[in-house]
Amino acid sequence: MSTLGTAIESLTAAMKCNIIPNQEYLLQGSVLDQYVEVLLHRLRGLCDNVDSGPETFNDHELCYSLRANSANTPMVLPLRVRRALDVNDAPFQLRYVGQQELGDKNRPTVVRSCIDMACSSTIIDFLTELGCRLDFEYIARGYMFRKGRMKVTVSKIFKMNGMATKPGEGVEAISQSYLVELSVQAPSGQDAIAEDMRVFAEQLRPLVQLEKIDYKRLGSVMP
Amino acid sequence: MPFFCKIKTKQIINLINKLSNIIFNNFIIEFKMQQREEKQLETSLESIVQRVNDLKASLASMIFKVENEYESLNWPKFLDNYALVSGQLISLSKVLSHEKCPNLRNLTVLPLMLSPERDEQLIQTTEGRISTFSHDLVPDYLRTKLEPLAEQKMIQLEHKAQNLQYDNAQKQIAAYQKVVSHVSDIVSKAREEWEVEASSRAGQQQNSSVADTHLLVAAVGMGKGLKMGPNSNGQPNATSGGMMVPPQGRQGGPPGVGPMPPNAQVMGGMSKAPSAIKTNIKSAVQMHPYGR
Repeated sequence: MSTLGTAIESLTAAMKCNIIPNQEYLLQGSVLDQYVEVLLHRLRGLCDNVDSGPETFNDHELCYSLRANSANTPMVLPLRVRRALDVNDAPFQLRYVGQQELGDKNRPTVVRSCIDMACSSTIIDFLTELGCRLDFEYIARGYMFRKGRMKVTVSKIFKMNGMATKPGEGVEAISQSYLVELSVQAPSGQDAIAEDMRVFAEQLRPLVQLEKIDYKRLGSVMP
Repeated sequence: MPFFCKIKTKQIINLINKLSNIIFNNFIIEFKMQQREEKQLETSLESIVQRVNDLKASLASMIFKVENEYESLNWPKFLDNYALVSGQLISLSKVLSHEKCPNLRNLTVLPLMLSPERDEQLIQTTEGRISTFSHDLVPDYLRTKLEPLAEQKMIQLEHKAQNLQYDNAQKQIAAYQKVVSHVSDIVSKAREEWEVEASSRAGQQQNSSVADTHLLVAAVGMGKGLKMGPNSNGQPNATSGGMMVPPQGRQGGPPGVGPMPPNAQVMGGMSKAPSAIKTNIKSAVQMHPYGR
């Protein structure tokens, strides 16, 4: 118990000191398949990991939600599990993503609270036993770039065709474009980074229009 | 401002003289006009002085920046300063050319008293640049013509221009025009190319599609188009097509992640075929003791 106590203590201490990166600054956009090479080329020039080339990834993301059916206030807690399909022994990643805040026009990026942690493959069982339900899942394949604290991912999103026996089989791209995301995770209150992101996004125009995208405007709300 | 003071004293003396005339000659109207002119002079001098001070301040700050912040000073900042200065110059010249501003050229600055002694007030008004209002300094400071050297040069140039043959002058003008038009040609050509490039780029800007962006973001963020089971209202999701499989009791583990050993163990002897999520979700929710 004492170790647990100290762990919680150090966690609260860390929260108080505001060193936990629990805010994600995000810009999103897309690029058509035929221009993705141009974008990758440009990103290779702009970003830090020039020598090693872009890092590829092939991830399976499962989006769960935990619903507390209290009478008047239906609460939905979204949780996402991500696992690498191309690296066998990589840990699973559990991620909570909160409501996004668009802010006013002066704020260059979307801000949302977000907590990441590494976990083992048993997380899926754990979530299921906890009563989480799987809302949807997809596969994201693509490239990751770094520029300082900024992370750029260029990924193709695939729908899982349920009957597949192996993940990676029977998948189907959902659009003719790559999803492009520019994000930074930082402790709260570091709004200056958003300005850097705006400048960086500016450099990718007109190839990609990285913007604040309002989920609410996209129509469908989570069922 | 001693100069202005002196101007005033002189004018006041003038005025007094005139006043006596006026009183005697009943030229009261003229006096009024004079008074008005003086008022105008005063106000316009005030505004000129104010603008000159503004200009001086911004020049000083520009010089300060060039001298002290040359490491962090960038070109846009420098241009900003420059624009400020030129704007102030324009507003100064506007004041000077305003119709209500009396023609300063018609006024004389007359030094009434020169002295070789230190004048504290003068030092203060000139910010320490001039300490005495003496004989060797006054001609320089109160001169309204160019400096002797510059004047000489101007005269020389004017002479040269007058002595120039008409043909020669024409030739030089033609050569000069040729050079200028050549340069302007180059510039306009470059500009044309640039504009064509910019417009063509705007034309083929279809590197990305807004619809696709929204589709992808909605899919990743909210699972739009990715949900496999029926929606919560019980109707099959349009995108999930014919994947509906009849429920087969409780199934552990997430669908679509079939071959995961731990899940298989949990399921025990149950059917291993990954099936509709519906059953899975339902069972999970129903089994969950804290569900409601």
